[in-house]
Amino acid sequence: MSYLTVSTLEEALTSLSDSSGKARVVAGATDLFLQDLPHSLVDLSALPEITVVEEKDGLISIGAAVTHTAAASSSLILARARALAEGCSAVGSPQIRNIGTIGGNVINAAPAADAAVALISLGAEAVLIDVNRETRQEAVENLYWTYNRSLVDSSKEILLRLLVKPCLGGEGSAFTRFAVRRALALPMVNAAARVKLENGLVKKVRLVAAPVRPAPTRLIQTEELVINQPVDKDTLKRVEVSAAGEVEVRGSQLRCSARYRQHLVGVLIARALKIAADRADPGKAGD
Amino acid sequence: MKKQVIIFQLNDEPVEIYVDPAESLLTVLRDRLGLYGTKAGCSKGECGACTVLLDDRAVNSCLVPVGKVQGCKVETIENLSRGGKVHPIQEEFVDKGAVQCGFCTPGMVLSAYALLKENPQPARDQIKMAISGNLCRCSGYKQIEEAILSAAKKLARQGNSIT
Repeated sequence: MSYLTVSTLEEALTSLSDSSGKARVVAGATDLFLQDLPHSLVDLSALPEITVVEEKDGLISIGAAVTHTAAASSSLILARARALAEGCSAVGSPQIRNIGTIGGNVINAAPAADAAVALISLGAEAVLIDVNRETRQEAVENLYWTYNRSLVDSSKEILLRLLVKPCLGGEGSAFTRFAVRRALALPMVNAAARVKLENGLVKKVRLVAAPVRPAPTRLIQTEELVINQPVDKDTLKRVEVSAAGEVEVRGSQLRCSARYRQHLVGVLIARALKIAADRADPGKAGD
Repeated sequence: MKKQVIIFQLNDEPVEIYVDPAESLLTVLRDRLGLYGTKAGCSKGECGACTVLLDDRAVNSCLVPVGKVQGCKVETIENLSRGGKVHPIQEEFVDKGAVQCGFCTPGMVLSAYALLKENPQPARDQIKMAISGNLCRCSGYKQIEEAILSAAKKLARQGNSIT
């Protein structure tokens, strides 16, 4: 069989159908190339419809084959979905970000993939199409099966784009991470927040931390705790305690102990919330 | 995978090879095309020694299946020296003592080259970011940063385009 770089979506879907499960789609290939390669690959990285970031019907649409470099420098993402720009600029190294794609970051299903953590905090939805030409839309957090395994079968289905509601007035987002080094290091913990403020009080919030479970994990109890609260020192202290108390994490000999990771979840969630709130209410930034 | 014909532009010349498309660009460059300037380090995308430019962007050639470069433009360190003269970035690496064992140097130079193509007057932080995917185990980062800063100034003084 073969390596096929397709130029239309139809060609991609036909190649997948024709190979009856033996081919799978690939974009940047930076993760896949380190694993056992399948019999045949269908390369989507040159498909025009999935390599653009655009505003469409009031949503930010990010093509699945947009590279991390392109997403991190998109003026639309920087202005309206800042957590995603920050998550994308934390992935790997410049060389990886120049070729690795956002879609790959989600489908590779690493539990603490930086772009995926940001996407989930932003409430992103994935648009997929399968070989029967049926499309579906799913919240990104629902695409995970288990550690490093996606529910998306890339021999049958293609992730087309990610849709994010832009952060408009009173809304802000932020991504934070802590790792042994500032480049080329998987995070001990990464965390991201999206918050909407009204009259200085939290009206909507999404707080996500990883690695906690196979998918980046929303901290629902901590989200509930901050609703109708101001994002001040007292709230942030409570957020730190609540977030650390809400998760059960595993330690890693290479990265850090479970206890330290749990501590970091609290610290980084509070930090992400603070930065997101400062961005939501620029007048108060720096409090 | 079954062999395929892959056609791409390598250092401004067209290249056509018959190769397994799942082979890495790194091994194709070194073992089939004899371009040994691109170094094989970790072979898993961590050290940056195998950095090349793919359509003007720095990438790890060890992570690129050669099938992916069909129709693309690839530039290796060999393309920087012209007419027996090294590139100003390379001159500055020598002048500033930025080369110790030399193994990371081609990758470092190409990351710097990609940066200066896009941003001819980078700040030190931007230089640090641009070489953050290139490991130097002699730990001579300071001299490397100095060399890139000074190459940017030199190119600006000479009014030269980077290429």
